[in-house]
Amino acid sequence: MWEFIARSLEASMIFTFAALGELIDQRSGVLNVGIEGVMLFGATLGFITAKTTGSYLLGFLVGMAIGGLLGFLHGFFSITLGGDQVVSGMGIWILGFGLTTYIGNPYTGPLELERIPTILGLSPFFYAGIALVVVSWFVLSRTSLGLEIRSVGEDPSVAEVSGINVPKTRYLCATIGGMLMGLSGAIYSLFYNPVWNYNFLMGWGFIALALVFFSMWNPVILLGGSLLFGTLWQLSLNPQLVLPGILSRYIWRTVPFVITIGVLLIISTGWFRTRWGAAKPEALARPYVKE
Amino acid sequence: MRIGSYQLRLEKRLTLTGWQAAIISTLAIIFALVLFSFIFILADINPLVAYRETFSYAFANPRGLPLTINRFIFLLLCTSAFIIPFRAGLWNIGMTGQLYAGALSAFAVLLAFGGKMLPPPDLSPITLIPLMLIAAALGGAVLGAMAGFLKGKFNVNEIVVTMMLNSITFWLVAYMIKEGGPFMNPGGRGESFELPSSAYAPLIMDIPFTIFLALGLVMLLYYMFAKTKIGYQIKAYGHSPAAARYAGINTFMIPLLVFILGGAVAGLAGYHYFAAVPGVYKIARNYGYFGDLAFYGIICGLISLGNSFAAIPVALLFGGLSIGGRFVQGKLNMGFGVDYALLGVLMITLVAFQFFYRYKLVLSVEGKGQRRRD
Repeated sequence: MWEFIARSLEASMIFTFAALGELIDQRSGVLNVGIEGVMLFGATLGFITAKTTGSYLLGFLVGMAIGGLLGFLHGFFSITLGGDQVVSGMGIWILGFGLTTYIGNPYTGPLELERIPTILGLSPFFYAGIALVVVSWFVLSRTSLGLEIRSVGEDPSVAEVSGINVPKTRYLCATIGGMLMGLSGAIYSLFYNPVWNYNFLMGWGFIALALVFFSMWNPVILLGGSLLFGTLWQLSLNPQLVLPGILSRYIWRTVPFVITIGVLLIISTGWFRTRWGAAKPEALARPYVKE
Repeated sequence: MRIGSYQLRLEKRLTLTGWQAAIISTLAIIFALVLFSFIFILADINPLVAYRETFSYAFANPRGLPLTINRFIFLLLCTSAFIIPFRAGLWNIGMTGQLYAGALSAFAVLLAFGGKMLPPPDLSPITLIPLMLIAAALGGAVLGAMAGFLKGKFNVNEIVVTMMLNSITFWLVAYMIKEGGPFMNPGGRGESFELPSSAYAPLIMDIPFTIFLALGLVMLLYYMFAKTKIGYQIKAYGHSPAAARYAGINTFMIPLLVFILGGAVAGLAGYHYFAAVPGVYKIARNYGYFGDLAFYGIICGLISLGNSFAAIPVALLFGGLSIGGRFVQGKLNMGFGVDYALLGVLMITLVAFQFFYRYKLVLSVEGKGQRRRD
């Protein structure tokens, strides 16, 4: 049972890092639907780096760097070029899916490095994730930088008038968001499941995207959602823990996805929207053109 | 930007004609192919040789050409499945799941007619094949309807829903064809039972009849969007759902309808790939590779700007590139996934070129008339 809890927390942290990156992105008004692509890139390049150099640290750094680069690229398409952010996000997802399939294929197989040691039986990323959630909650809701980010996401033209550099703030958030997504991918491929194979993420990034909508753009609720989905994911892999022998294991694999749709449905109902809907950044996915 | 006495600057486009869009799209594809040649160079391969091999295998080789045409039919159906919701401003990235659902439904019909029995029964193709086609379209439509219903009724983000449905159907297929599932091949091997030869799709000059289905659908779609009331309503909804509501358009029916239609077309793509392409005739173990090829439909749809006729040459080109890319990969000893890498590079280039749909570069010489370039 303890092992199951520890594994669930590991899985939760992958959702936490990726979704937190997306949350920061969205708070500044940039929607990146290509989380999955950024994660695939971070995971694949981090995996290759760690496997060839034998250094975990380098692997994580490379994963973060490529994530930041892709976040910046998404920023360029959606802030500087002012294009459709969904198109750009889709582009980054398909770029990640296509290119990492080719780049990663020669490295198919296990990582074959010593496992990262745990702290008090839990993954080090658990502590890092909790710290990150607290820090981002604090920065977003208690500092002037957070206020700037939120105002850019709510109404960029008003923010501009009050002296905030809108493109700069958005670039910052898009890049940091990308770094977190890349790091989350690297945690997956270097720690959670250190094996590379074809299209191994299979929807983690899209669940993370749903989590951000679910969190009402609040890092603390986001953490709760991630814990829920991490546990669900782990349960779907080990259904014998709750209901031994019922249903095929393949059917169990569909459960997290079904529940994601259910959760999205609940938060999209009119009842929920009138109660909590105001949390959505007003300028989300709208390009800002200076008058 | 200033170069000598020339001045280069950006101007906002007020209109975009079909020809301008075609030129930009062509430039984007050429640019992507140039960009992709770096991948060949990194693999120590002369890109010119690689592209010559790609195109000659895909379009001029007696073995490659039928593969290209089969891939073309598949991509054209996937593109149509993407285009219908796209005209309503909605993203269907669930072609993968919808085509699995279509394939599963078609195989369910076969199973009901005893197609799994050994020796294979002699089935009457005249009743069986239309039934399989209808089942495939229905299967895809049901999956599409889920996304459309949730979008129309509760405004649930259709991107996440269709992607989740992809994963759900992926595991459903695994359940059906592996470890004692109902469609499991009697010999095991983790794949579905094979079609009895009497259920093979009829071939016309070695090409499955589905090509007429795909081309007919393209014409139908073109007619629907150009001439009919419902096509007009879909486009109006795509421009602005709020304005469409004021104009009296049912904003619940439109998302539902476009996703049902899109899903049905994607279901036919599933029938085509798993029950009509010569040499396949089963749901193979690596069905995930084929399902993910449906993402090419997104690019084709974006490049052709939702115009179903423009999708024909694009799908043919991409079908050829993916077949030729796979061939070059084997012949020149490259790693697996050249066709997927090309998919990624094409997509990101296209995203960058979206900019030119809205802006144009103007090159002017000081004191003289202006010259324009798209």
